[in-house]
Amino acid sequence: MEITNPSTGSFSVSPLRKSLFAQDILLIGVSFVLMAFFIPLHWVIDFTIFCILVLSFDLLYGYMGRLSFGHVLYYGTGAYMASLVLLHVSRNPFLAIAAGVAAGALLAMVLGFIVLQTDGAPFALINLAFNQIGFWLIASGLQAYTKGEDGLNTTAGTLGFINFSNHPFAFGFFLVCLLLVFVLLKVFTISPYGITVRSIKENEDRVKFLGYNVFYFKWFTFVLSSTLAALPGTLFAVFYGFVAPTIISPFGNTEVIFAVLIGGAGNLYGAIIGGVVYKLMSNYLATNITRWEMLLGILLLIWVFRFRRGLTGYAWEWILRGKRKPAVEV
Amino acid sequence: MGEGSVDLLEVQGIDVAYGHAKVLHHVSLKLDQGEMVFIVGRNGAGKTTLLQTISGHLKPTAGCILYQGKEVHGQPVEKLARLGIRFVAQDKKVFSNLTVRGNIELASYATGEDLGQAVERLTRLYPKFQDFLGRKAGGLSGGQREILLIGRALVASPRLLLIDEPTEGLAAIVIEDIFRILMEMKQEKVSTFIVEQNLSVVSRLADRVYVMKEGKIIKEMVDPAEIRNTAELESYL
Repeated sequence: MEITNPSTGSFSVSPLRKSLFAQDILLIGVSFVLMAFFIPLHWVIDFTIFCILVLSFDLLYGYMGRLSFGHVLYYGTGAYMASLVLLHVSRNPFLAIAAGVAAGALLAMVLGFIVLQTDGAPFALINLAFNQIGFWLIASGLQAYTKGEDGLNTTAGTLGFINFSNHPFAFGFFLVCLLLVFVLLKVFTISPYGITVRSIKENEDRVKFLGYNVFYFKWFTFVLSSTLAALPGTLFAVFYGFVAPTIISPFGNTEVIFAVLIGGAGNLYGAIIGGVVYKLMSNYLATNITRWEMLLGILLLIWVFRFRRGLTGYAWEWILRGKRKPAVEV
Repeated sequence: MGEGSVDLLEVQGIDVAYGHAKVLHHVSLKLDQGEMVFIVGRNGAGKTTLLQTISGHLKPTAGCILYQGKEVHGQPVEKLARLGIRFVAQDKKVFSNLTVRGNIELASYATGEDLGQAVERLTRLYPKFQDFLGRKAGGLSGGQREILLIGRALVASPRLLLIDEPTEGLAAIVIEDIFRILMEMKQEKVSTFIVEQNLSVVSRLADRVYVMKEGKIIKEMVDPAEIRNTAELESYL
């Protein structure tokens, strides 16, 4: 696999890296399959979709350091575009998925030029504003096409053994998508391009000192992150056959943000662990407690204030304890 | 302009202001190809502001900056960096989450210089880095960070290097390391513009010295005997 760096040509993945990717794929794949033995399969499918969304957000927030309160805009765009294609163009699920992902990418390409003029809190809020506009368009402005609050009911067609109503097939397909997104992001984040993006998070000005066009890097990463957010939206649409404006509601962003914080920002494993833990918490609490949102809120508050590095951050610290090299002498 | 020498940088009567507060007043100076030029002056004289203006961080409100004969004032930092102007800031901030090698890699990706060559230059400048290449740069001492920053700025041989207070806050032994590195750069004719308070370093390295006071150039020294006279230099501070 190769990623092209605009400055230096190409970056190749070494055989060692490839074997590490194989280990990652095995570990994540087996974990999700095992999970399916202990909890309902439709929950695991839901977790898989959510984890792809969290991974995409981690690229933007954990790796590039840009907190967005409008990430689900692209998730919802993917879901609605896939549903509209299924309703009006073709029942081919792959065409719907491709159209949804393309719609998310196109929207991000345009909005990226606007939102990336800002940084910090304004960046978070301008994304929230666009998310709110998207929500209003879906719920009201484009009601003739989206059916407003009633949502869209669709059925993805079947192509031989490809049947998204079949839970084991859907699970297998979504898990492959999750693994592909994981590997893509892993290659991206360790490539020269990804190292530059991580350095932008640490000190944008210093990256400019080296001659990088920082805006280009930020824009590309924003588009990649948003495109990957559209993918789980399309998977949601073809699996559930129903989308409503709640899927694009700005409140959905808090779930993604909390999942990244629980797992540990800037760590792909952390995104997956955070996604699963958040979904487990919200599903079990909702099943057993009436006012579960309040308890979830309290748990998340404790997490954010007390365990800021996330599960993977503390796990690393535990693994590395005693192995740290002494400080460098002058 | 001296015989056979070429003006690499010429600053012509620039004014710089932070809001309504004017910080630089009609500053003019020049740097010939291969020269090592120092700016000295008390705190608040406007030395760092001048360097930040040349490097593209600040825009002058009047006057112009010529680099290789072309006006460059108002150009963004990254464009000036691509033209060969590199800036080493005073704060000694490296990419602390990257290794020492990673810091050099980042510069070599930007310039297209071979990484092995860039790392080799760094370890030649400061052999101790041979053992630290795989360590996080955040764990380096202040002096080592400064050396890493200079080494990083030297990737792909910049045409003009701007260094802000390289020895500030460092122990004497580290200052000698930095002096040695600057001396090597001088011998290799790297065009360098340095803001420095350590007059011992200035007097031993400078081809030309500008003294700044209250946002103005009050003295230009080109005579080696005058530059070596630290007592005279000190009298301006």
